[in-house]
Amino acid sequence: MTQRPWLAHYPSGVEHELVATPFRHMPDLLSKATTDYGDQIAFTQCMPNGMNGSLTYNQVDELSDAFAAYLREELTLEAGDRVAVQMPNCLAFPIVAFGIFKAGLVLVNTNPLYTASEMTHQFSDSGAKALVIIDMFADRLPEVVSATGIQTVVTVRIAEFFPPVVAGVIRLVQKYWNRSLPKIEVEHTSFQTALSRGRELMGRSSSYLDGVDLESIAALQYTGGTTGVSKGAMLTHGNLVSNTMQVLQMLGESIRPGKEIVLTALPLYHIFAFTVNLIGFYHMGARNILVPSPRPPSNLKRAFENYKITWTTGVNTLFNALLNERWFVEHPPKHLIGSAAGGMALHESVAERWREVTGTPIVEGYGLTETSPVLTFNPFGGEVKDGTIGIPVPSTDVRCVKDDGTDAGVGEPGEIVARGPQIMKGYWQRDDETANAMLDGWFRTGDIAEMDADGYFTIVDRKKDMVLVSGFNVFPNEVEERIASMPGVNEVGVVGIPDDKTGEAVRAYVVANDPRPTEAEIIAHCRESLAAYKVPKSVRFVDELPKSPIGKILRRELRAEAVTSETASIETQGRELS
Amino acid sequence: MIAASFLSLSTTVVNEQDVVTPFEQALLVGLVFVIMFGLGAGLTPRDFKSALRRPYGLIIGFVTQFGIMPLLAYVLVITLLFQLPREYAGPVALGALLMGCVPAGTTSNIFTYFSKGNLALSVIMTTNSTLWAILMTPLVLAFYGGFVFTEETDLQIPIVNIVVTLATLLIPVVAGMILRRYSANVGAFMELLGGFFGLFFIVFLMATWVPRNWALLTSTPWQTYTVAIGLGLVGIFVAYFIARAIRLHPANARTIGLETGIQNGPLAIAIVILTFSGTPEIGLILIVPALYSLFIVIIATFVTFWFRRANTAEEQKIPSLL
Repeated sequence: MTQRPWLAHYPSGVEHELVATPFRHMPDLLSKATTDYGDQIAFTQCMPNGMNGSLTYNQVDELSDAFAAYLREELTLEAGDRVAVQMPNCLAFPIVAFGIFKAGLVLVNTNPLYTASEMTHQFSDSGAKALVIIDMFADRLPEVVSATGIQTVVTVRIAEFFPPVVAGVIRLVQKYWNRSLPKIEVEHTSFQTALSRGRELMGRSSSYLDGVDLESIAALQYTGGTTGVSKGAMLTHGNLVSNTMQVLQMLGESIRPGKEIVLTALPLYHIFAFTVNLIGFYHMGARNILVPSPRPPSNLKRAFENYKITWTTGVNTLFNALLNERWFVEHPPKHLIGSAAGGMALHESVAERWREVTGTPIVEGYGLTETSPVLTFNPFGGEVKDGTIGIPVPSTDVRCVKDDGTDAGVGEPGEIVARGPQIMKGYWQRDDETANAMLDGWFRTGDIAEMDADGYFTIVDRKKDMVLVSGFNVFPNEVEERIASMPGVNEVGVVGIPDDKTGEAVRAYVVANDPRPTEAEIIAHCRESLAAYKVPKSVRFVDELPKSPIGKILRRELRAEAVTSETASIETQGRELS
Repeated sequence: MIAASFLSLSTTVVNEQDVVTPFEQALLVGLVFVIMFGLGAGLTPRDFKSALRRPYGLIIGFVTQFGIMPLLAYVLVITLLFQLPREYAGPVALGALLMGCVPAGTTSNIFTYFSKGNLALSVIMTTNSTLWAILMTPLVLAFYGGFVFTEETDLQIPIVNIVVTLATLLIPVVAGMILRRYSANVGAFMELLGGFFGLFFIVFLMATWVPRNWALLTSTPWQTYTVAIGLGLVGIFVAYFIARAIRLHPANARTIGLETGIQNGPLAIAIVILTFSGTPEIGLILIVPALYSLFIVIIATFVTFWFRRANTAEEQKIPSLL
């Protein structure tokens, strides 16, 4: 039996094991919210200029029923068929996602910024038969639809369910000012047509959920995982229900049923916002404020002005960006109770400033797409340890394993492996990848961490991001944290680049504000507190860092950039010489 | 000889019906109401609190808006306009001075945005100068008017009327602020509409007013054009270089430049229409505000291109959604 030293640190009143729930599948969990909060507002979409639309719990329930009927009756999809969804945060998102669950189908969340080839890969791999896509990104469809098994395309407008005049204005602006509405050159059905067709067909079948249980797949959530090949993590109804309840159980009474207003600035197609905001806060009767695009951060200004935000979820990049906005710092949200950070390491300097500016706690959690996603977080109402990812959620075992397969001792680094009801069923049609990811029934995360005596975990780094300098391990996080604390540094990404003498060398990519520090100053700053081999050998100043859709800095692309620019400079040198 | 032709010019345009028809008057004032409403709909009390916390923006804005611009207008008037016969120069000068004394226009925010300036600073400066206008515009106008209009034959500046007009035009700003509290949708719609009408105003001028007054425009002396163009152009650059000289961040300097040079042309026109309605000289008084409103769009566009080329690292990205 694994040791669980963290249990002593659960806030009082929080059960150690996940309390059994009566939910047989996701739709059960969703309908509980409808029963409890029917006429309350469930979702409000807030555009950067403040234009908005809202849906109540009852409306979401009815509309998603209609969409489920459309999928099963009109499109004659069968239980277990995959439906791809590709849109930013908007009111249609919950209706589509919940409709897919209610229809007993499998949701394939897709990043709307994907290129045609990425879309083709994901739709072919998942075998999706239908696609629900935002009209703004439909220009890639001809190429994609012909190369995949997509039979039906449903197009969604960004201002779906807004008051008609407002929706019309937004459409005009999109069409004539932003010119962001491409001509759609494949056969498609508008979302509203699909819904009205669904309404007509509703009630034909008593249940689409016969045979659907907690073991059934609810979503294929694509991820690069540890190997970089994009593959679908099979998340079951049980995974999603469990993880939602694990998080809520751990939060205990910090979430007041029916009273919270949560800012959802992270994209819902990402597992963090999907489970925590879309499902968790929905279950608690909260009002989700959906922001279609949090970049630039000024897009969030109206949401903060117009709604009494009580909770927010985000990633380090988002919190940092808000702290660089004058309007935010001067008028931090008054009603805020707490913030949850995930997706990437939360820098201690950012956490400290966030607490200072908002006067409320921010806690960091940890997990992966494969774990639905939450494995650990710092307990609200318990002891929060900055810089750690906290303690495992109920019914979850986490340990650190050394390269030789033995357990790491307290304070010793090792790869995190985890076990619990939120761990995915496996990778979709990739048994080899699934086998690689599992170790005697434990899921291998590919992240290196240390556990302290209290059972709190601290991420050291991603295993594959480790830089090997003359045989010494350098963890980019540690160097980034150091550089990020310098005045004038806005963002930083650290990677290893090939080096003739040391094998690899540390390079920092820095986005600086005025007055910007020099390369020499940054290196000197690192020397003060880092061992010599960890100090960056070179610093490059850039306008921006490559980031994932949720704002995670993509070190992989920085490394690629480093290699290509090196080659390019060698080539130019060669040409000059010849 | 030249003087004679100006005399005949000023008599041909005394009929106000020729210059702005009652319909146009009503429409222009209506447009200004929408523009001012839109300005208010984009504001919250927080914006004022933020502005008060960092008074440097307000102080600089105040100084450039009610210090540099009126002074510049005054200098242009006495050096250029007053070469012309008094009968013509007097009313035109009044329009020019008024143009220098009105607050910043909302279109400055659009140009600031495209120049990758500091949008927040621009909005705060516009708002600040608009609110101060109720006191400062009449005060500064009366001050310079005192130097310019010294002769008995000169026009009297109806200061009280101007105050009343300004106060009336500030009502929609406040109404906009209140309205947006109750409906973010209506607020955002009005904000958008206000911005749109700000540009539409210029289109309206070009499409109807310019062709109808072509004869007047072709016979207008170069001095008047120079005043109308110089006010915006010199205003932008003087403020920009002062801001650079006191070592402000380039983005802020660009903002202050545009904010200073771009005046609220529609407001000036509305003030003239509402205050001087029925006065025979209204046509001449309107010339500089109308010409200024036309040329500032062109000037600001060129300046924006120049600013963008000079722009450095900080990218203010155009939002991908709305």
